[in-house]
Amino acid sequence: MREKLMEILTETCPGVDFETETALIDDGLLESLDIVTIVAEIMDAFEVELNVEDLVPENFNSVDAMLELIQSLAE
Amino acid sequence: MSFTSVGFIGFLAAVVVLYYALPKKCQWVFLLAASYGFYMAGGVKTVVYLLFTTLSTFVAGLWLGRLNARKDALTGPEKKAQAPVFKRKKQMVTALVLIANFGLLFALKYWNFTASAVSGATGGSVILPQLNLLMPLGISFYMFQSVGYVVDCYRGKYKPQRNVFKYALFTSFFPQVVQGPISRYDQLSPQLMAEHSFHADHLKYGIQLCMWGYFKKLVIADRAAVLVNTVFGDYTSYSGSIIALAVFFYCIQLYCDFSGGIDVTRGAAQMLGIDLAENFRRPLFATSLADYWRRWHITLGQWMRDYVFFSLTLSKPILKLGKWSRKKIGGTLGKVIPTATATFVVYLFIGIWHGANFRYIFYGLWNGAIITSSQLLANTYYRCRMKLKLADDNRGLYVFRMVRTWILVFLGRYITRAPRLMAAFYMMWVTVSRPVLSDLWNGTALTLGIARMDYVIVLGAMAIVVAAEFFQERGTEIRKWLEQRGFLVQWLAILLPLLVLLVTGILRGDYISSEFIYKQF
Repeated sequence: MREKLMEILTETCPGVDFETETALIDDGLLESLDIVTIVAEIMDAFEVELNVEDLVPENFNSVDAMLELIQSLAE
Repeated sequence: MSFTSVGFIGFLAAVVVLYYALPKKCQWVFLLAASYGFYMAGGVKTVVYLLFTTLSTFVAGLWLGRLNARKDALTGPEKKAQAPVFKRKKQMVTALVLIANFGLLFALKYWNFTASAVSGATGGSVILPQLNLLMPLGISFYMFQSVGYVVDCYRGKYKPQRNVFKYALFTSFFPQVVQGPISRYDQLSPQLMAEHSFHADHLKYGIQLCMWGYFKKLVIADRAAVLVNTVFGDYTSYSGSIIALAVFFYCIQLYCDFSGGIDVTRGAAQMLGIDLAENFRRPLFATSLADYWRRWHITLGQWMRDYVFFSLTLSKPILKLGKWSRKKIGGTLGKVIPTATATFVVYLFIGIWHGANFRYIFYGLWNGAIITSSQLLANTYYRCRMKLKLADDNRGLYVFRMVRTWILVFLGRYITRAPRLMAAFYMMWVTVSRPVLSDLWNGTALTLGIARMDYVIVLGAMAIVVAAEFFQERGTEIRKWLEQRGFLVQWLAILLPLLVLLVTGILRGDYISSEFIYKQF
């Protein structure tokens, strides 16, 4: 799952160090446009349904946070 | 009651004194009374609209809160089974209050334009009646703020306010009710309800910010406005260089007018110990049009992002479009199409938010088209940069991006200030086809309503604003810098602008004060 997510992220935002960054939103590395592109890809790739309520910085600040979100939605 | 009137300064001083003199428990009640007093000083009749928005969104919030609580009380399979029922009910409540409020806004702000457009398009065969309604002060600001509260309650972001008077203060808080910023309930309301002790620092910071705002508004914007009004009022009589000069002055005027007004708003709130959201972050240093919109009228952009853009992007039609484009078109373009579509719609909305006429619709399309195309071409730009071996933080590239943004913003200002859309195109055409550069120094520039000294004051004062923002952009906090200077310098920072204001602004016999531009929105 992690590899698949990393593939989506690096394709959408080349040049961002997703492995180590833990404040992707708070530090402005990801913008709203990036988030919605990533969200669409996640929904497609993992067959989960995201709501507007899920679009909060805490869910997208790091790869781990995104994985946690995907797992909670898949349950 | 205009922020620039002596009446407002007296009102603010009285509010600050009484606010801290009263028992702390009564502070919010006093602020509510002061806010309604302030609003009604601008017209008693239009308070009905403020009350309608306040009460309808308050009731909707309570209703949504109850539905959320009932849903949360359920457990296990019952919760899962009932979830769609609750969702439908919540959608109905939200839709009802949104239609009621935006319907009212449409009737007040957009109906007459729509009626004229329909009549024009049908060659006069369909004639819709014109409404003669009073436009309430700041309706677009307090309505957006209240609707944001309802959507947050729908999303279960926080529990609704149960006290109608406490909620009424959130929608009517006097420094911001006229021209924003558009605050969020969870950020502003706890501050309004908190008990505030007097702190000399709050007062000092508040006065400093107000003085800075008055400096921008009274010394720069109002002076630039005279030239702008002269040229735009008779635009067919001037050459391209004079028109370009007027657009340049309009850029200065608009920034100093709106950001100056917001400084006064935030400064007044700060005197009461309340921090309002930032609405400007040095737009002059933006490196793209999208970046410009993240720095200009920030709270409107954030509102559009959270309540329109995100909702639109995750809506079924856009998701379907995304699936189709990824499958049929593929690549980066396929990925970006749904986001770009939502972006385009958002900028169209931002344009229309400003007012009901073809200029603002075109302005929205103009911004939407540029920002959308830059999204679609992002990868091409990236590859070009790689080929040219330019690092993203290259200084030359940064300056190039800034200048490119200035030009795009500059062109956009023709559209927003010209009396009609066709006049804007005409003025753009004259700028390039008939520049007559000598008009800038042959004396014509001195026939535009302002004297030589006014040019010196506007450009000199603007240079001070740009210098201050340059240091802020580099990370210098001017207040902290001042803090380290000692008592005398700190108060000089207040008194010196005051002196400049008095000498170059309001005490001059021929001084012409103008209303804040964003008040009309």
